[in-house]
Amino acid sequence: MNNQTLLYCVAGAVSGLMVTTAIASPDLPPWSEKAIVEDVDIQALAASGDDPIAVLQPIGEDLFTAKFTVLDGAGRPDATGAILPTKVRRQSHLTFQRLAGLDANACSSCHNEPVVGGAGSFTANVFVSEGFESADFDTIDPQFSNERNTNALQGAGLIELLAREMTADLRKQRQSALAGARQSGEPETVALVTKGVSFGHLTAFADGTLDVSRIEGVDHDLTIRPFSQKGVFTSLRQFTVNAMNAHHGIQPAERFGSDWTGTADFDGDGYLDEMSTGQVSALVAWQATLPAPGRKDDLPEVWQDAADHGEDLFAATGCASCHLPSLPLDSLVFLDPGPYDTAGTLRQSDVETPLVLDLETLVWVQSLPRDESGRVLVPLFGDLKRHKIADAANDTLGNELLAQRFVARDVFITAELWGVGSTAPYGHRGDLTTLHEVIMAHGGDAADSQKAYAALEEDERQYVLAFLRSLEISQ
Amino acid sequence: MIRRTLAAATCLLLSGSPSSLAADSSKPPEALAPIPSFTEEAQQADVTHVYDGAWEFFVGGGTAIFDCNDDRRPDLFLAGGSNQARLFQNESITAGPLKFKEVDTGVSDRSLGRVLGAYPIDIDNDDHLDLVVLRLGENLLLKGLGDCRFEVMNRSLAFEGGREWTTAFSATWEEGSTYPTLAFGNYVDRSAPGSPWGTCHNNFLFRPDADSEALLYREPTRLSPGYCSLSILFTDWNRSGEASLRISNDRHYYRGGQEQLWAVPANRPPRPYRRSDGWQHLKIWGMGIASIDLNVDGFPEYALTSMGDTKLQTLDLESDDTLPVFEDIAFNLGVTAHRPYTGDDLKPSTGWHSEFQDVNNDGLWDLFIAKGNVEAMPDFAAYDPDNLLLGQWSRTFAEAGKDAGIALDRRGRGGGLADFNADGLLDLIVVNRSSPVSLFRNTGAGTAADPRPLGNWLAIDVRQPARFNGRAVGAKISVKTGNRTLVKDIQVGGGHASGQLGFVHFGLGVAERANVRIKWPDGDWSHGYRVFANSHVVIERGTEKAKLWYPPGASNP
Repeated sequence: MNNQTLLYCVAGAVSGLMVTTAIASPDLPPWSEKAIVEDVDIQALAASGDDPIAVLQPIGEDLFTAKFTVLDGAGRPDATGAILPTKVRRQSHLTFQRLAGLDANACSSCHNEPVVGGAGSFTANVFVSEGFESADFDTIDPQFSNERNTNALQGAGLIELLAREMTADLRKQRQSALAGARQSGEPETVALVTKGVSFGHLTAFADGTLDVSRIEGVDHDLTIRPFSQKGVFTSLRQFTVNAMNAHHGIQPAERFGSDWTGTADFDGDGYLDEMSTGQVSALVAWQATLPAPGRKDDLPEVWQDAADHGEDLFAATGCASCHLPSLPLDSLVFLDPGPYDTAGTLRQSDVETPLVLDLETLVWVQSLPRDESGRVLVPLFGDLKRHKIADAANDTLGNELLAQRFVARDVFITAELWGVGSTAPYGHRGDLTTLHEVIMAHGGDAADSQKAYAALEEDERQYVLAFLRSLEISQ
Repeated sequence: MIRRTLAAATCLLLSGSPSSLAADSSKPPEALAPIPSFTEEAQQADVTHVYDGAWEFFVGGGTAIFDCNDDRRPDLFLAGGSNQARLFQNESITAGPLKFKEVDTGVSDRSLGRVLGAYPIDIDNDDHLDLVVLRLGENLLLKGLGDCRFEVMNRSLAFEGGREWTTAFSATWEEGSTYPTLAFGNYVDRSAPGSPWGTCHNNFLFRPDADSEALLYREPTRLSPGYCSLSILFTDWNRSGEASLRISNDRHYYRGGQEQLWAVPANRPPRPYRRSDGWQHLKIWGMGIASIDLNVDGFPEYALTSMGDTKLQTLDLESDDTLPVFEDIAFNLGVTAHRPYTGDDLKPSTGWHSEFQDVNNDGLWDLFIAKGNVEAMPDFAAYDPDNLLLGQWSRTFAEAGKDAGIALDRRGRGGGLADFNADGLLDLIVVNRSSPVSLFRNTGAGTAADPRPLGNWLAIDVRQPARFNGRAVGAKISVKTGNRTLVKDIQVGGGHASGQLGFVHFGLGVAERANVRIKWPDGDWSHGYRVFANSHVVIERGTEKAKLWYPPGASNP
């Protein structure tokens, strides 16, 4: 009995309904090299009343760690890794290559430090190309692609929930400004602020138009996109669909299927609809429920003292003005699909009922700190805002030449520092070996903080590093 | 190169699936693209109106779709034939059911009688949209005053509205001109001996007086011979930057006539293209022109409705592209729409208004054709439902009118697709002869009770503030997503007696964002505007960033 069959049986034993929603591939021999062997009917699951986490998490983990094979539809001979379904100009004679991909046959082959779902070494860097039809580049010249280090996914569910709430807040503020301007007949300018993070200003006019030129750190549609080094992807679901195609040549039907491409085999490898909505949901559920990073709880006294002091200095130097120690989260209910995805990523409007993943049920969530209102304080050390991070005097982190998805080359979302003690190397390219180096690399909006850090005495800088090194991904 | 791509696709299609096209053309290919659901709700929307009348109103039946009260939402002017033309102000709830309120135009009832069609345009550059009203008798230029009020400005512009039976209109801003040149297409001259056979009126071009600072249209230019035109369109067919006038004519009445193309060089007399210029003789029952650049090569394709086959013309690959030599690719692409796609009536169809739009937001142009028997012509289908030909990724089109819910038993004439409730899905109005107007709400992948979106979309309003031609007629909008580009021209004219100005709609498929560039009417290109999907954007010439627009009351803008 292989693992998938076992899971299927366990699920079936827990709940009769699960038998109808978790679907195992029939007739596969135990030695099968096929990695995608289970599916989930998410409509039935949503209607069943069962806890979708229990059903989806194990399937998601299997998919995250699976080594996809051609038997699963891995490979995309006719398609590029672009986010939009795009045909190659000419087929590559290589199934795998580290640049245009395929660059991996398992999610976990990069996301694995210190545990599965975690970050990746420099060896696990990926190349982000906006070149679309020219994606069959064979150079690492940065004019063709941006090289990126693998992010850790621990706590991603809470990050997405924060982003959703912040998006909702900002859009409410926009709606209020529009209503006010229409009512008064006069322009109305609002400061966009959510969870204490400022996103600039917006001016609404009486005719319903908006001046978006003073919005800062977020796209003009006021959607917080928290994922990727750049901060340009809305949801785990969107990122998963992107990644399955880009890295593995597994094309989820919700974007690459016949509705949007006219064919169920857009990548021309002979496999139709290579990943279902249920399988994407399983991957989303597994990632969304990964325990958030925490702090080392077994530090020797000398390190603990240094870390405590360092945390104060982290704030005093201004680092914490962007790397906010925590953001409050109102609700722990993670709906899948989420509210802000657009066509090409499954939307709530595409299903009768979204899956309700109640993160409150997770033990690690229950141990998170809360404020006086009962809101979970997500200790992310980030603000989910994009900032300019390089300048002429300090351009280490301005080493990309290509903008990505309308975001300038030297602008990145604030890296969440939770778990930073486990995720070396640093920087969006993963080419800075120590925390000191990456702090010193900060320029642009972070220049003053970098200077303040640099001005500390050496032992004080060590305290800061001691603090950061205490933030870890549990193993 | 790109033109070759379209031709290659066409060839592949012919060689790859000859049986599907040749064996049984009565069974159109099934649509793989998502089929939108339309719900007819004219009555609930308080748009109860009938276009009717005797022989003179067998043709016409147009609508002007435009914003008459400066709220950026499309309002409706409906021709009435023997009934009064009427104006309906859009009061639809955002993303909700369609709702309109009839409003007083401020123009006399007499002026609103005998109306066949109308086109919106800002003639006098005051930023209020005006209306050109096509009538049996004197055509009217109605000056928009704001708040959906109008006044006749024929006299103040020295415009002689004529006494013809006017059935077509188009306009362009010629190079160096502050004001538009107006072209009127006329039908049968009923007073001529032998009428109606072979007695077509001339068509007329009204250029603004070059000698006058004020806007005056004193001297019309005769476009002779006329061949009973039912649709005309200024179009830059050869990427020259200068619009020519394409005229689609009804062979039912002309003798020795044909389809026409007039060169209209600035400051010079117009000149018809002739056989020696490469123009080929084509006789159809021309009723409506729709144009779109399907393969984005800068040379638009033209859908020409007729009785029987619809034509779809593209510049001939084998010829010099400076010559107006077109080949018909309608059969290859599956848009002949030559007989009803449902029902038992196998007689030929009668096509009228045509329009390229993207009704399912998949990023592929679709073709709507209003259909309907002229009156009771026995050799043509009596039940002749409107077509909704959905563009496919194979570059062909597939009929989806029945599944979309628009296959009513009404005789369609004019019409238009516009997003009346600002939900990102194009709704549809069809003016029917002797039947109520059809007003369909596009509910996407859902139902009237539970509308649901299809692909992503973008609505773009292009303006040239503080300049003449503020609505940028003649501009080209280029929308790039990934490595795909869609282009659409801002035009006044074409269709069947029906026109619209306002937000220009693009389906984006699964693209979450787009780069938009504008080729302004004077030929200058804008920089790229970076915009996000599922939004209304306003691009004003010279501005660094696009503005966004949100309709009132949007629940989650």
